Amino acid sequence: MRLLTLVIAGTLLASLAVSTADGQEGPDYSREGADSCLSCHEDEAMLAIFRTKHAVPSDPRSPFGHGQLQCEACHGPGGDHAGRVRRGQERPAIPYFHYGSTATVEEQNGQCLDCHNSGVGFGWHAGEHPVDEVACVDCHQMHIERDPVLQTATQPEVCFDCHQATRTETMKAFAHPFFQDKMDCTGCHSPHGDDVATSLVRQTVNDTCQQCHAAQRGPYLWEHAPVSEDCTLCHSPHGSNHPGMLAKRAPLLCQSCHSQFGHPSVAFGPDELVSGTPSRFLLGQSCLNCHSQVHGSNHPSGSKLMR
Amino acid sequence: MNNTHSKLLLALGAITLAPALQAQEVDTSDWACEYCPFQQGHEGDYEVGAGSVSDDSAYFGNATGLDEEGAYGNLDGEGSYARDAYRMVWTVEDLGLDSRAAELEGSHAGKFDYNIGFRQLPYRRFNTTSSIFLETADSLLLPAGWVRAPTTDGFTQLGSSLVSRNIESDRSIYEIGGRYLAGSRFSFSADYRRQEQDGTKIQGGSTYTNASLLPMPFDYVTDEVDFEARYGADNSFVALSWYLSDFQNDNTALFWQQPFTGAAGADTLAQAQAPESRFQQVTLAGGYSFPELRTVMNLSASIGQITQDTEFLPYTTNANLVADPLPRPTLDAEVDTTNIAVGITSRIFRKGRIKFSYRYDERDNKTTQDTWNRVIVDTFPGGGEELNIPYSFERSYLSLSGDYDLFDMLRVSAGYDRRDIDRDFQEVASQTEDTGWGRVRIRPGAGFDIDVRGGASKRDVDNYDEAFAAATGQNPLMRKYHLAYRYREFGEATLSWSPAAAPVSISLMGLFADDEYTRSELGLTDADELSVALDFGWSISENTSLYLNTGYEAIESTQLGSEAFAGPDWRADNKDEFTTIGAGFNMREIGEKFDLQLDYMRSEGTSSINLDSAADAPAQFPDLETTLDYLRVRLGFRQSERIEWNLYALYQTFETADWALQGVTPDALPLLLSLGATPYDDEQVIFGIGFRYKMGAKKEE
Repeated sequence: MRLLTLVIAGTLLASLAVSTADGQEGPDYSREGADSCLSCHEDEAMLAIFRTKHAVPSDPRSPFGHGQLQCEACHGPGGDHAGRVRRGQERPAIPYFHYGSTATVEEQNGQCLDCHNSGVGFGWHAGEHPVDEVACVDCHQMHIERDPVLQTATQPEVCFDCHQATRTETMKAFAHPFFQDKMDCTGCHSPHGDDVATSLVRQTVNDTCQQCHAAQRGPYLWEHAPVSEDCTLCHSPHGSNHPGMLAKRAPLLCQSCHSQFGHPSVAFGPDELVSGTPSRFLLGQSCLNCHSQVHGSNHPSGSKLMR
Repeated sequence: MNNTHSKLLLALGAITLAPALQAQEVDTSDWACEYCPFQQGHEGDYEVGAGSVSDDSAYFGNATGLDEEGAYGNLDGEGSYARDAYRMVWTVEDLGLDSRAAELEGSHAGKFDYNIGFRQLPYRRFNTTSSIFLETADSLLLPAGWVRAPTTDGFTQLGSSLVSRNIESDRSIYEIGGRYLAGSRFSFSADYRRQEQDGTKIQGGSTYTNASLLPMPFDYVTDEVDFEARYGADNSFVALSWYLSDFQNDNTALFWQQPFTGAAGADTLAQAQAPESRFQQVTLAGGYSFPELRTVMNLSASIGQITQDTEFLPYTTNANLVADPLPRPTLDAEVDTTNIAVGITSRIFRKGRIKFSYRYDERDNKTTQDTWNRVIVDTFPGGGEELNIPYSFERSYLSLSGDYDLFDMLRVSAGYDRRDIDRDFQEVASQTEDTGWGRVRIRPGAGFDIDVRGGASKRDVDNYDEAFAAATGQNPLMRKYHLAYRYREFGEATLSWSPAAAPVSISLMGLFADDEYTRSELGLTDADELSVALDFGWSISENTSLYLNTGYEAIESTQLGSEAFAGPDWRADNKDEFTTIGAGFNMREIGEKFDLQLDYMRSEGTSSINLDSAADAPAQFPDLETTLDYLRVRLGFRQSERIEWNLYALYQTFETADWALQGVTPDALPLLLSLGATPYDDEQVIFGIGFRYKMGAKKEE
């Protein structure tokens, strides 16, 4: 807490030295608003914005609400862009969200956060995406009726554009059903950072997993310590070459921690496959042939996770 | 927050919470928006289809419902309705399959929004399994005339008793939620989600010397409720939320008749299954931005409680044994959770950013400890008095980082993280991990980005309590990998190039992590990970594009063990390698009428295990292999503005080599009655045709 206090105090002190005065006059807006824009930008893809929540005239907070700035609410003042240009002169770029725009990622995101700050903006600042200079429009598409990043089937590929290693993981043989278009990243992750300064939709890894896997929550009479702490100690949630998305094949996964005298310490080898002297410690479910209650047991005689 | 609602929040977000846009200074009285095609009315786009599946496949039926050979019908589509500020959108998907889904979202801009949804998610694991057991309620019974024997080769009735029993389940998810906006500052949201999951899973059931793999029926229901009240202003927000997760299990016990010859009286055995539990959590979150300081501060604090009060089974089902009375009839478990997060991000320097975050998580298991005297696998009473161990931990994570733009094209960053974990009842009471990292990001030109980062971390422990380990029967030299000392080096580099002058994008990524457990004599001693990936996209023309992505990942580890219960006398080297490739080609409006889409994916995984034991010559397991191929072609024909036909063809194969299953027939092992699952060797060809019709037309205002 002492460190936290120092940081807060330092931040406040620093405010005394900051000046944000900016008395410059801004650029002009177009003369007719959206009508100016639509006189050129009339293709179907562009007009799809009018099928979205950004274009609801009766909502005064929508960019197309009464008295609002229509296209220029997001794209910025378009007076120069829409104005006359001399023959051979390059038409000035619209300030935001278009090829040729010189706005920084932070400035562009500021256009979105002007309205969306109270909904998503605070967590956004706490997350990793702004550090990586991810623009809102890197993920979101506004000029489309159904934004692909908000659809389960298409969202993962949007995320994989940057998270390439995760794509590789999800293409493994045993993975959550991303490839089948039945699960999306936001089922577990919170790309805006949400309110908790993690990238998860719940407070912890286990809270997140147990949304769907509540059977593993317990609390059990006989707990398995790593299960109570963090599911990812044994599981690779993005995908694995091993059934159950386990990080490693049993019994070696279990033997990474268990070394009790007797069978937990035995090096079961290829001789104990079906072609040799088959071992129940190795084949089938391996350790789980007997210790099947690996997530915990609620049986009075279940301390060895067999009941 | 459930998934649907989180999407709604992303989509609607603060449009409805938004402050008025910065329109005050602009005269918009002449902005008539005459050419704005605001649309109203209904519009839908639906596809009725039929298809044919060539072969049964559990693997490919997983999540898709396409697990059985034969024909199927299907309906997909989406639609919307808009009138003034009111809007609805809906989607139906795979209505003819076990993976069907339907979702409706609606909103009245600035007033409320809601969603209703239903989804089914089939889980198909094995269709090659068979069992002798007959299922009744929560019991698995032996077939009439079954002759017990001490080993499987004495099961004379096995062949005639085996009945095919797929290992599969179905999950049905029902969702309903809504949000009410009380003015521009306040909002209240409520979401309810019910998940029903039932089917059959594999469960090992054992005695002292033998085990049976049981086709265990299960029937779970999980109800979740989220409620949130939020106040949002221009520079601040505060939200109070409540979350409930209530898990119900129709079968909190499993009884099965023992097929092996066993101890007298131990003919019917029992296991406890997942206990019913309830988790509640209250969260207070807030944020404040200091625009002049370009600083944002976030706070979140949660308290929660997990309870569980499922009635215990007796120590044993064996009436011939005399067991102690249970200390209490239920566990009456109570686990309290606390989560606190603080984040401050500041750009007080024009060219720099400072970020601080702190997080604290606590799991405080307050369940009462008692002395239990177990019956060992329904065979031997007096297993020894044991105390149940309510594991608790406290975990904190502090992070401080900063970045600075040295030049327009060069940004440097550095950071320090510290993670502390304190645990009860484990070998390590206190553990600390310090991480330092640096990063350089270079932008030599527009669309060209090079990002390199690397660092190191050291995880140390106050003391690895060998006496505690020995008391639990562990070899005192064992160091559990999540508790052990570890030194890690890691790095990542990405290069992306999207030239403005050419319609291509290239991205190359590589990362590594090297973990060394240099103070571990037994257990994991070394672990490495390497991953590289390449993405390429090319928009050849306005209507033609292609993509290619490929990835490689290698995960290696070394662990040491001791059969002699002394120093290390065996070593296992594990290596998992994956190679993936995805490629596709998309052409639209060929001859203005046809669309062609082609997607191909291949995923290869190989896991090799080398075992080097002092007692035997070095030996290598046969490689565990998985090979997945997938090729899909879609040809679309636009008959008219409203009518479109689609032809689909899909070819997919999944081949595996898995020594854990290969040849493990139900009686392959003398002391294990298995279900006989075989390694996957699945192939499917699917043809489909779809008739797509666009309904309705929104009228211009």
